Amino acid sequence: MKKLFAIAWKDAIVRFASSSELLFFIILPIFFTFLLAGGTPSGEEDNRIRLVVVDLADTSISREIFTELEKSTAVRPEYFPLEEAEEMFEARRASSLLIIPAGLDMESIQNGSAALEFRKQPNNLNATVAERAVETAIRRVSSSMGAATIALEEAKAQGTFESAEAEQAYFNESLELAQTLQADAPERVTVIEGSTPDQVEYDPRANSSAGQLITWVFIPLFGISALFAYERQQGTLRRILTTPTSKATYLLGTIAGQVFMALVQMSLLVLFGVFVMGLGWGRDLLALFVILLCAALAAGAIGTAMGTFVKTEGQASGLSIMAGMVMALLGGCWYPLELFPAAVQNIVKILPTTWAMQGLLDLVLRNGGLVEILPEAGVLLGFAAVFFGVGVMRFRYE
Amino acid sequence: MIKLILIGIKDLKIIFRDRAALIMMLLAPFLLTLGMGLVTGRFSGSSTGISDIPVIIVNLDQEQLGNALEEAFTGEELAGLVEPTLGKSPEAARQAIDEDTAAAAIIIPAGFTRSVIPQQGTFDEEPEALQIEVYANPARPTGAGIVKSIVDEFISRIEEGRISGQTSIFQMIISGRITPQQGEQAGMDMAQRLENEPLDEALAIKLNTDTNEVEAVQFDVLAYLAPGMALMFLMFTVSYGGRSILAEKAQGTLPRLLVSPTVSAQILGGKVFGIYLTGVAQMLILIGATTLLFQLKWGDPLGVLVLVLAAVFGASGWGMFITALARTPAQVASVGSAIMLIFGILGGSFISLEMMPPAVQMVSKITPNAWALDGFTTLALGGTLPHLSTPITALLTMGMVLFVAAVILFGKKNLVQN
Repeated sequence: MKKLFAIAWKDAIVRFASSSELLFFIILPIFFTFLLAGGTPSGEEDNRIRLVVVDLADTSISREIFTELEKSTAVRPEYFPLEEAEEMFEARRASSLLIIPAGLDMESIQNGSAALEFRKQPNNLNATVAERAVETAIRRVSSSMGAATIALEEAKAQGTFESAEAEQAYFNESLELAQTLQADAPERVTVIEGSTPDQVEYDPRANSSAGQLITWVFIPLFGISALFAYERQQGTLRRILTTPTSKATYLLGTIAGQVFMALVQMSLLVLFGVFVMGLGWGRDLLALFVILLCAALAAGAIGTAMGTFVKTEGQASGLSIMAGMVMALLGGCWYPLELFPAAVQNIVKILPTTWAMQGLLDLVLRNGGLVEILPEAGVLLGFAAVFFGVGVMRFRYE
Repeated sequence: MIKLILIGIKDLKIIFRDRAALIMMLLAPFLLTLGMGLVTGRFSGSSTGISDIPVIIVNLDQEQLGNALEEAFTGEELAGLVEPTLGKSPEAARQAIDEDTAAAAIIIPAGFTRSVIPQQGTFDEEPEALQIEVYANPARPTGAGIVKSIVDEFISRIEEGRISGQTSIFQMIISGRITPQQGEQAGMDMAQRLENEPLDEALAIKLNTDTNEVEAVQFDVLAYLAPGMALMFLMFTVSYGGRSILAEKAQGTLPRLLVSPTVSAQILGGKVFGIYLTGVAQMLILIGATTLLFQLKWGDPLGVLVLVLAAVFGASGWGMFITALARTPAQVASVGSAIMLIFGILGGSFISLEMMPPAVQMVSKITPNAWALDGFTTLALGGTLPHLSTPITALLTMGMVLFVAAVILFGKKNLVQN
């Protein structure tokens, strides 16, 4: 036991020899957790297609058109200055562009010169949708005006007016009537929301906290391989041959030390989740400890096995960062697993990060307890046993 | 100049012989791009995008307006946007939505047309208003929203016609131009005329539509993800190169070069050139590999090449600046890795910058990743070199400022002298 502590303590000293290790131990994980909690899609954000609007008129009519567009279920209008909007459109950063020209007012509508400019990218479905939404908004704003204009034309077809004043009066009365008819128009569409169950269980804070915890703990635990490579390169592993220390004792000491540090790191990240992000990590502390321990053991064992394959510290370091990031990505630590294609969801079950993430989400997102996380904990222990076995079998001091 | 190039090429060869460096320079970004492609469904054909929105239409009306709405969804104009199927019963359609097989169901009630257009002999009666039901799938809000907007547009056209007709006829009756008895016939005549005349012509505010006269381009999600990952690991490459400068200083090989007829500026310039060459090679290999293996279209080749050169210049500036600030190779390695990850997230490699808070979007401007990714996205959307003036200028300025700062710091440290 004393040997185990001594090995673990030595590894801790080696790892924290540089203060920059704190960057990866706590600063970057918190930075990433915080940013991703506010930045990843929550399912509640506005999914409507962005419509770039340039309002050069700035009249009540132009504002009314914008208000009507805001009511659309398909587009989300956003004001931009003309130059920026045109630049975005030219660079194809905008699928469509609506320009409300200067001088759009009641008078221009009445004399028939009112026109908006709509530019769209070719064969772009977003632009097609936006065009329809703009037409709808224009219709709503101008339909009474259009109706009055048509009424005047119909009346003219029946006979001329005595004077221009009489014609204007007829137009005004028609406009008033049309506005009344529009105001009294019945609702002809009703929207009923179906009861489709939402397949994506997601809370950006919980997912980010759990996902980043796994990402930033798995990478250094995979980095155990770099510790072995470093000691092998330095020749210190060979020196252990001269002492009465078995391979299992050495490996256990190394893994136990790193797992302990991982638990400290995870505890700090959990505390950040509880006190800064208001997450309910502490509902079942025993269950939380079990899943964190199992995840750390699995990652530590994988790092041990990796350490028996790599030759240099540089290789090990690169490999552990790469493996950690790829496994975190595919394990659902960055994006909800439910968003992945069905086939991918099944394939990624071979990764420990998938099980660790599901176990943590059982606790923090689904309000589960010890019983709920037992399957995930069991699988993670299985990973730990298999990879530790591989590590012991392949481990060489030289 | 030849010495500078020789030193640069020598460093390039050394880095490309280092397996550990290759893992981070090429394998990691490639695997992460592959992973992102799998996650987003890019390789399984289920990549999200607004197209082929499944919609079920139940037309119980089977008259003029109900048929017109059905035709609007099944016609050429919306082909590609929606994928309509005709349902028989409202119950079955609603159940299909509840089972998440479509984005929305449109249920047109029997008698809908009659509830809008008065029939002969019933002109005086106000028909009971029937409603079209849009049964929306809450799990597919975007698709359901678009379906609803199409129905809204259809209804607004109908309403416009109805209000125009009623206003014209009622106003003529009120003004005594026609008698109430003539009203019904006048209404019928007008309805017939409007049917032959496109309603757009009647819009009081016209909409002049102009389609951009350039070739249509379908945006590939991988065209955002692949450069994002390549740029993130470009930061590793430039800091790795910087680390080699300090490692050579620590090993004494840099001062040894001074024994040869080579001045310190040439040595440092050669090292920087080596880093630059390595970054360019890394980016070009990743671009080539994703083009060949994933059929990814990066866009205008000249634009891609110039942007790569500018992006590596900006990133190399950061690499040299970090090296100039650090004291040991280990410091460059750890700070470089941290900067790589921070710039990765700030530059939009993990999630789109548009989803980030405005303050983060502002801070992202200090990263070469954000500017270069902006340029690569423009190219993938069909833009060309002239559209890249802003990101290229920003990257070159960034690189220039950082290189000058690094040279000043190197000068103070007297790096090449021991």
